Amino acid sequence: MFDKFEQLVYRGLDSSFQKSFAIIGTLVVLVLSVMMIPSELVLAKMLPGKNNNTFNVYIDLPTGSSISQTRVVAECVVEELKKEREVMDIETFLGMGSPLDFAGLIKGSHFKNHEYTSEVVVNLSNKHHRKEPSYLMVQRLRPVIVDKCQDIFPNTSIKFVEPPAGPPTMAAVVAEIYGNSAEGIRELAGRVKGVFAETSGLVDLDIMQDEIYEKVAISVNTVKIARSGLSIKQVNDVLYLALEGMSIAVKNSTKYDDQIPIFLTLQTEDKIFKSSSERDIELKLSSLKLMNVRGMMVPLTEVVEIHKVKSNPMIVSKNLHEMTSVVAETDMVSQVYPLLDARQNIIDNFGDRYDIEEVGLFNLNLTDKTTGEFYELKWDGEMKVTIDTFIDLGGAFIAAMVLIFLLMVIYYRSFKLSGIVLFGSFLSIIGVIVGHYIMDIFTQDTFFLTATSLIGFIALIGISSRNSLLLIDFTKALMYENGMEKRAAIAYATATRAKPIFLTAVAIILASTLLASDAVFGGLGVSLIFGTVSAVVASLVVVPIMINRVKL
Amino acid sequence: MTNINYQPKDYAGKLAKYFIRSPITTILGVFLLMIGYISLLVMPREENPQMVISGSTVIIALPGATANEVENVIVKPLERKLKEVKGIEHIYGIAMDSVAVVNTTFFIGEEKEDSNLKIYDKIMQNMNIFPRGVMMPIIKPLDIDVDIPVISVAFYSKDGNLSKTELYDKVKDIQHQVNGLPNVAVTNLKGGSRHQFNILVDLNKLSGYNLSMGQIVQAVQGLAYNIPDSKTRTESGEIIMMGVKNAIEDADDIGNIIVAQYMGSSIHLKDIAKIEKSHDIQNFQKACLTFRDDDGNFVDKQCQVTLTVSKLQGTNAVVIANAVKEELVKHKASFEADGIGFVITRNDGERANEAVNELVYHLILSIVIIAVLLIFVLGWRESLIVTFTVPAILAVTIFVAYLTDQTINRITLFAFLLSLGLLVDAAIIVIENIHRHLHSKESEGKDLDELMVEATDEIGPPTNIATFAIILTMVPMAFVGQMMGQFMQPIPANVPVALIASLFVAYIFTPYLAVRMLKRPKGDKH
Repeated sequence: MFDKFEQLVYRGLDSSFQKSFAIIGTLVVLVLSVMMIPSELVLAKMLPGKNNNTFNVYIDLPTGSSISQTRVVAECVVEELKKEREVMDIETFLGMGSPLDFAGLIKGSHFKNHEYTSEVVVNLSNKHHRKEPSYLMVQRLRPVIVDKCQDIFPNTSIKFVEPPAGPPTMAAVVAEIYGNSAEGIRELAGRVKGVFAETSGLVDLDIMQDEIYEKVAISVNTVKIARSGLSIKQVNDVLYLALEGMSIAVKNSTKYDDQIPIFLTLQTEDKIFKSSSERDIELKLSSLKLMNVRGMMVPLTEVVEIHKVKSNPMIVSKNLHEMTSVVAETDMVSQVYPLLDARQNIIDNFGDRYDIEEVGLFNLNLTDKTTGEFYELKWDGEMKVTIDTFIDLGGAFIAAMVLIFLLMVIYYRSFKLSGIVLFGSFLSIIGVIVGHYIMDIFTQDTFFLTATSLIGFIALIGISSRNSLLLIDFTKALMYENGMEKRAAIAYATATRAKPIFLTAVAIILASTLLASDAVFGGLGVSLIFGTVSAVVASLVVVPIMINRVKL
Repeated sequence: MTNINYQPKDYAGKLAKYFIRSPITTILGVFLLMIGYISLLVMPREENPQMVISGSTVIIALPGATANEVENVIVKPLERKLKEVKGIEHIYGIAMDSVAVVNTTFFIGEEKEDSNLKIYDKIMQNMNIFPRGVMMPIIKPLDIDVDIPVISVAFYSKDGNLSKTELYDKVKDIQHQVNGLPNVAVTNLKGGSRHQFNILVDLNKLSGYNLSMGQIVQAVQGLAYNIPDSKTRTESGEIIMMGVKNAIEDADDIGNIIVAQYMGSSIHLKDIAKIEKSHDIQNFQKACLTFRDDDGNFVDKQCQVTLTVSKLQGTNAVVIANAVKEELVKHKASFEADGIGFVITRNDGERANEAVNELVYHLILSIVIIAVLLIFVLGWRESLIVTFTVPAILAVTIFVAYLTDQTINRITLFAFLLSLGLLVDAAIIVIENIHRHLHSKESEGKDLDELMVEATDEIGPPTNIATFAIILTMVPMAFVGQMMGQFMQPIPANVPVALIASLFVAYIFTPYLAVRMLKRPKGDKH
């Protein structure tokens, strides 16, 4: 078999037509395969979904909602989850975050301490005995649960949080809106969320801001309070004591770990207001009395006025600039493409209010046409991590190429030979991209070109340069030590070296087969398998043709 | 030594020549396998690799201030001060009514302890910038290891007989036991209710007696006062201790507190309020649980208390999770007696162990597949030699990983799987060349030892340089920043080690084994 191959190479080197055909063919295939990325035939994502035994559901009602309202939504979610056969147990944490996990750490789950938030932990049966991967299950359940539970109270946000395959991020897509006017940011954030809602592939939308709700302001009439011999502190204290309650003393305990607080408040039935109308509030407050310095009782309502105001939403700033972020998760798609769609949508449709200017890679600057107010829209979250990672890995790739080139130059003292080795190893990109395309056809869900694919590609440069190296070395040895003619030497070397090259290639392919089945490292596996195939073809066809042209 | 005349030109040949007849080779082989195996057993196992993420949260309360005021007087000045700290990537300021929260995140890879100290230092130095009336800042460092529990257990009352506080007390007992286990860092309880005396005032009676809330506060605080014992001496110099007994022992004592005197008769607290010894009614946080019973139906929703346990950095999640489980088994009898049931709702130890074992299985499977392939192409003796080199190389790699304080996690094992395809190469190239020489005509009369050394030496330079090339491709990966770089760190850390080890093992053990196992072909094939 190897004899025949030797003949083939020998004759191939003779025919200029076959040589040009091979080289031009390679170049065409190279260009075509690289084109598969911008044409979205092969989709890029940082890391794909991972099959887990658990996921969380974050429930956020609008700011100012009560714990009983939150409970209604949480119970609705739990009831839906109970219908699932693979769900083993469900824990609901009302008013707080669940036991912290990797995702929760970044998403701020440990700071949750409000009546309007809740987290639900769902544990599934073991993934080895479960047919449906958790990410597909979440994708299936999301519309069902959102449909049923999200609209019980308006503006509720229900998010599905899966343990990330790699490093956790705030969300898949985060649009940070910077500006100087809080109202302007709020309005723009609302519009951006609207755009996200129209973009297919984006789910779990939320604006990271407090909703503005109505609250009751009690303003103290200073003249009256001075005349009746009271102080503002008394007013504050009595209100807090009556409605919230306060621990006024403690009792030490030998039996328990904690001191036992003595807690004073009104009994529950007295605390409940008939309605939130001003008249009912006044009625209730009138029965609260304060004792003045002269020991007389003054009803609270005598010294205060009640009116309704808007609540103060929290003000968030990042790196000293006021900011609100709009977040979204992706529904089993890469975040890159929905983000580009959403961005295009913003550019196309926000022109009515804003002058839009594109800055950097994806960011936008918006200027309000009427007020002249300036806003910045920056993308963060997984998108930023993805771009940073791909840029870094791209840099690592270029650095690896440069290092190999230098090594070859030192070893061979020839730029041409070093260039050939480098070109040969670069050809493995054909296999990497085409491999992902093939896998995408055969897998159920999208097979993404991921960060691990790039790592595989970087490793491949080394592997395929080794093949070329062994080939060139052997050819040189044959020429200078055995005195063979160049063309014969190349043919003989190619044929002889074909066996170990095949062997090591098959070893890599077999070792990577098991990698390919993993969700996260599938990209690495596929890169190595298909990349090795193209690397072998490159070293046994393209490299011999090219070294035939240069002086060895 | 033997009579090898061949003078090796490369390290490959020199190593082969030295070790081919040396008794050390066997010992070295056994030693390598042993240290590798021991390292595999003792290395801490985790699901995900250790990441150095530093950050802090500073919480400052200014009661009564609006969000805007908080932003102006606390958040903005503090943010400016924190900007002075080197290594901070982002500063997030959140101003709410009465509270300011400033989160800082450091660049990935910044030392945790240093970063925490920097933040603490900066705030303590600048206490004077805070406005009057602020409470003491709370500085909470972010600590992945300590913050993220590796195991969580939800306890519930089986028949619902236990009150919320009773369940909480029982779990608190267990918490203390679990916290005492080795390498456990933090244990926490979520859900459940604490003990509390509640004075629930009836508003109608309060106004009926013409009393104010303030009077109740004064009356209760007047009695709930603890002072240490006072001591004095007798004439003969003996000490007499006198202590004032705490006036409040139970709910009745609180009820009997006299709030006011009215027309000669006293008004007791119990006349105007309901006093009960129960739980913290003001706490809105609540944890519930539902799970499948033995028949596979969901039980009704139950109140639960979740115990979370986290581990110290660099310790074995598997061991800690198992220790916690054992501790729970020890308490089984008392759980039964109290009617307490529990569900383990998270077990990262088990997850890590499963992931690691699955990958080890894959690793072995890959080795077997490659061995079978080599049997067909090279023959079973050659295949056996190459197969032996794999565990030897992995053993060295694991040992080096152990020395450099790494843990066994998904990524380390993927690094091994990735390098598997690469690290058999050196051995394959050597054995293939030996094989070729053995079957070639020129070497017919040669001494077997010499032939081995020569064959090894011949492919030395290209193999060295090629392996070096692959190592070079891995080096830039170590400089990839961000979380992803940290996450993938085990790959550039371990693959080069494995490759270097593969060279040495190939040069030392392949000729050594080959000379003992391979035979010259009997017939002349060529």
